[in-house]
Amino acid sequence: MPGIEHYLILSALLFGLGMVGVMVRKNVIVILMSIELMLNAVNLSFVAFSHFNADVKGQVMVFFVMTVAAAEAGVGLALAVAVYKKFKELNIRFFEQLRG
Amino acid sequence: MEMSSILFYLLAAATLFFGFRTITVANPIFSALNLALTMITLAGIFFMLDAYFIAGVQLAVYAGAVMVLFVMVLMLFDLSGEARAFSRGMMSGILKVGGVSLFGIIVIATIMGSFSNILVIDSGEAAAGQALVQPTTRDLAVVLFSRYLLAFELLGLLLLVVAVGVVAVSRIKGGTHARD
Amino acid sequence: MGTDILEISINFAKMVAIFLLMVQLVPLLVWVERRGSALIQNRLGPNRVGPLGLTQLLADAVKFLTKEEFVPAKSHRFLFYLAPIVALLPAAVAFNAIPLSHPIEVEAFEWLGHTWGPYTFLFQGYEIGIGIVFVLGVSSLAAYALLLAGWASDNKYSLIGALRASAQMISYELALGLSIVGILLVFNTFSFSEMVSQQVGPLSFMFFGQEVSIPFLPNWGIFFQPLGAILLLAAVFAETNRLPFDLPEAEAELVAGYHTEYGGIKMNMFYIGEYGHMLVASALMVTFYFGGYHIPFITPDQINEFFSGRGHGATQASLLTALVLHLSFFAKIAVFLWVFVWVRWTLPRFRYDQLMDLGWKTMLPWALANTIITAILVLMMRSSWS
Repeated sequence: MPGIEHYLILSALLFGLGMVGVMVRKNVIVILMSIELMLNAVNLSFVAFSHFNADVKGQVMVFFVMTVAAAEAGVGLALAVAVYKKFKELNIRFFEQLRG
Repeated sequence: MEMSSILFYLLAAATLFFGFRTITVANPIFSALNLALTMITLAGIFFMLDAYFIAGVQLAVYAGAVMVLFVMVLMLFDLSGEARAFSRGMMSGILKVGGVSLFGIIVIATIMGSFSNILVIDSGEAAAGQALVQPTTRDLAVVLFSRYLLAFELLGLLLLVVAVGVVAVSRIKGGTHARD
Repeated sequence: MGTDILEISINFAKMVAIFLLMVQLVPLLVWVERRGSALIQNRLGPNRVGPLGLTQLLADAVKFLTKEEFVPAKSHRFLFYLAPIVALLPAAVAFNAIPLSHPIEVEAFEWLGHTWGPYTFLFQGYEIGIGIVFVLGVSSLAAYALLLAGWASDNKYSLIGALRASAQMISYELALGLSIVGILLVFNTFSFSEMVSQQVGPLSFMFFGQEVSIPFLPNWGIFFQPLGAILLLAAVFAETNRLPFDLPEAEAELVAGYHTEYGGIKMNMFYIGEYGHMLVASALMVTFYFGGYHIPFITPDQINEFFSGRGHGATQASLLTALVLHLSFFAKIAVFLWVFVWVRWTLPRFRYDQLMDLGWKTMLPWALANTIITAILVLMMRSSWS
């Protein structure tokens, strides 16, 4: 049975991948997905701690994170669709020009 | 090696591979599909960690609803013109270098850590964790609906606000529901 | 998985066998569908090939296998081939988690100079404690197959069908999930096996702290949750994308929806996926509301005693009991499969906005009301007023 450090390393690597995704991608929806990836990485570390301490509170936290992530995805996608319908553009650089 | 270790390494490798593909594939639809696969393999890891309910919810909510929504929206847009995956410009160049080097630091730190054992968190305690009784779904529900009831209700409120907000943002005139 | 090599290999073989059982039931269901539709429409249906047209299945299989392998020129080849496989998997994985019969108790025995056992083999692929959450999670992945197929085909009709399908599946998953909360509250468990074991014997429940028993009715979930059963049945019709909810492949509007470009064996795999979903849905209905594999008023122990009394050994009696109960399970499933066929060829298709209205404005509020009322009633009935 792998120890807790294995799960934490995996979680850190996934979080790093998500972080790089947020920084380097240009498509707004892909950036949203990278954020989801980071949230998943955090969930993994919560579940790992919950397992190795036999404490259910970590899982409660994961439950909350999932709900917030779903809400965030809903709002983000709605905004992306609204912007795309109006400007036919999903590049993150374009969003800097949305003023007024 | 034990069965569970092999399974863990397989799942971890798959998770990292799909996660990597998520941020490097040019086509956003493939990105979303890879992210969905990442979530499914993560659900497998949650199963290994005895968090059965969380794993099931991960499948139903993340992989089954959130990612389907992403894929659906991406398919609605015609993004065939998408040739480059990454943004351009000075600012994003700096971000790129910064992001990749941060990731490199994490990788190096984990590799060094796993050699020098600084990451091994009190292996005696971790071994004791195996012997502890794992919480069941019933325990999760009891804690969720007693100690964290206020947070749970606030989340419900948040979801309601989000639902109203999303409908307001995406409301368009026309279609089959047009009244005026 | 098991403690020794024999148990592990039998458990593994069991999973494969249940998957094959599912796949092998599909041609039979296609035959029932064709003959059943003919019966309803006052025709004869396929009746030339073999007795009752039963060998038509074989002819169909040969036709599917020997058809031209066609891939649209501008399609995404990888996803195009992936989609039928993805369509097949969720149903198979979900069907494996449902108990099909009573567990088989095998006594310790000598074989190859080694003492094996005693074992308890569950009559299902794998027992997962949170059974129903797992099945819901896995079957929600079926939306990917439709989306992939629709998008990879590079065809307008396919894409519209796929988008309709996924919107419909997400919408009805809410009603589906909420409609079973009531029965979960009544049984107080997520596990299928526990639900089934609570449905033995005559109808009995706690009424304000007093035990009430009605001897002429079986102890089935439907008597506690009639509204939940109706809502679940409607929701699974939408989840399986069959009439009256077959908007994703409405042939009058979309040619054939998401599988317009598919032919031959790939088309067949979509069929297997759809009928697999029907099987899972029927199995869920039976497990939640109609006593699972139990025969009404007869406990598995009584059947076991009957076989033991006829001079069978303990292992043999347990095996025979499991087989009898398995037949009972399939008899119940067959009723629901027939309901699927019957409804498909009787009701007309909804319009798309009607479909969404039904899901969001009718079924969701009813399911919510059902949940709340059940929660209050369960709390009241279980607490005594003394």
